[in-house]
Amino acid sequence: MAVAIVMLLGITAKAQFVKAEVQVSGLTCSMCQLATEKAIKTLDFVAEVKPDLNKNVYLVSFKKDKSVQLDLIKKKVKDAGFSVSKLVAIFNFDQQKISNDFHFTYAGNKYHFMDVSEKTLDGPIRLTVLDKDFIPAGDFKKRAAKTSFECYRSGVMGKTRTYHVTL
Amino acid sequence: MKRIFFLLSLLLAGLNTAAQELYVATEPASNMPKNGLAIRMTQEGGFQNGYQSRTIPELMYGVNKNLMVHASAYLSNFFQNSYKLEGWSTYAKYRFLSIDSTNRHFRGAVYAKYSASNNPIDFQEINLEGNNSGWQTGVVFTQLLHKLALSGSINYNKALDNRGANLFPSSLAAESIGYTFSAGLLTYPKVYRDYTQTNVNVYLEFLGKKNLGRNENLMDVAPAVQFIINSNLRIDVSQRFQLWGNMTRNGKNMYLIRMEYNLYNVF
Repeated sequence: MAVAIVMLLGITAKAQFVKAEVQVSGLTCSMCQLATEKAIKTLDFVAEVKPDLNKNVYLVSFKKDKSVQLDLIKKKVKDAGFSVSKLVAIFNFDQQKISNDFHFTYAGNKYHFMDVSEKTLDGPIRLTVLDKDFIPAGDFKKRAAKTSFECYRSGVMGKTRTYHVTL
Repeated sequence: MKRIFFLLSLLLAGLNTAAQELYVATEPASNMPKNGLAIRMTQEGGFQNGYQSRTIPELMYGVNKNLMVHASAYLSNFFQNSYKLEGWSTYAKYRFLSIDSTNRHFRGAVYAKYSASNNPIDFQEINLEGNNSGWQTGVVFTQLLHKLALSGSINYNKALDNRGANLFPSSLAAESIGYTFSAGLLTYPKVYRDYTQTNVNVYLEFLGKKNLGRNENLMDVAPAVQFIINSNLRIDVSQRFQLWGNMTRNGKNMYLIRMEYNLYNVF
């Protein structure tokens, strides 16, 4: 029973979401890059944005007391006219045991591990988000066709927004 | 013609630098960012019955990620000795296709323009940049190929009566097809470090027109150089040359100088 409740609610992990590396595709000029950076900066949970202009990567650090919503970052990039081609979420873990299909809840969203072996995570860990609009469209289609997880295709588990991550 | 293909092959040969699609004579299929506002001032001119020039103030705004709008005013001495306000235009572009991957994208957009002018109508070329009242609709596709941005568009133009009782003469063709091909290339910087580095882009654009139902054609080539300063101030310098044509026109072989200032997240 207790296990069922925990499964239902998801596990609140011993983790802090500190920053994300957002790679943006389709950018062609410094004006586009500046527009994208300024759009990301308008989000209330964003503390700082550091661009790597040569690689089209933004290192976005988050405020400690705000809830981080990756979908809002994706929306800002899309509104600027571009797409997210890769997003690496950097969480600070504290002795968190994980395995394939393990999921935890953070800021109202679920994070669901895919393609990982059993492990204990400690310290800053880079998790690559695998969901639609966070990887190239072709890669998402391939993964969606292969996986048995319906929540991967839909991006939701029950009614909770669920991001799928891997190491 | 040979010289043109030589220039084009030079442009294509520069494949190991980054590319640009902020075309000077045309619009790419890409749009401005949502909530972005650009303020433009364009000056163009040349010699035709003496020196004549046109000034075009313009505002551009990104409504959402797929829709952007322009509003322009036209002032010139093209049809009289003194400078006057001769008309205005409004333009909208909707991006319907966007296939992005790293350093590469393919985009498609449809666009429409309405233009009003109070000039007399004396020329065969339908020109919705100040000379004619009328409307235009077209489609544009832009491909960024890691290092080079190529764009092509085709549009339909319909001339209407100009304002101030300047009726469209029945002797002229009221409909035309326009077609363009543009190539753009970033030449500097080779490596991006920060937003203050000035970008230098070079462009070569081909701009053709054909009046429907008539044997009236023209083709211009417009080489251009562009500087982007501080990632928000853009300066374009271009010179158009008519390659061939048998249309009477007002505004042949003009230079163009433009300044554009970009503001982000304005609302």
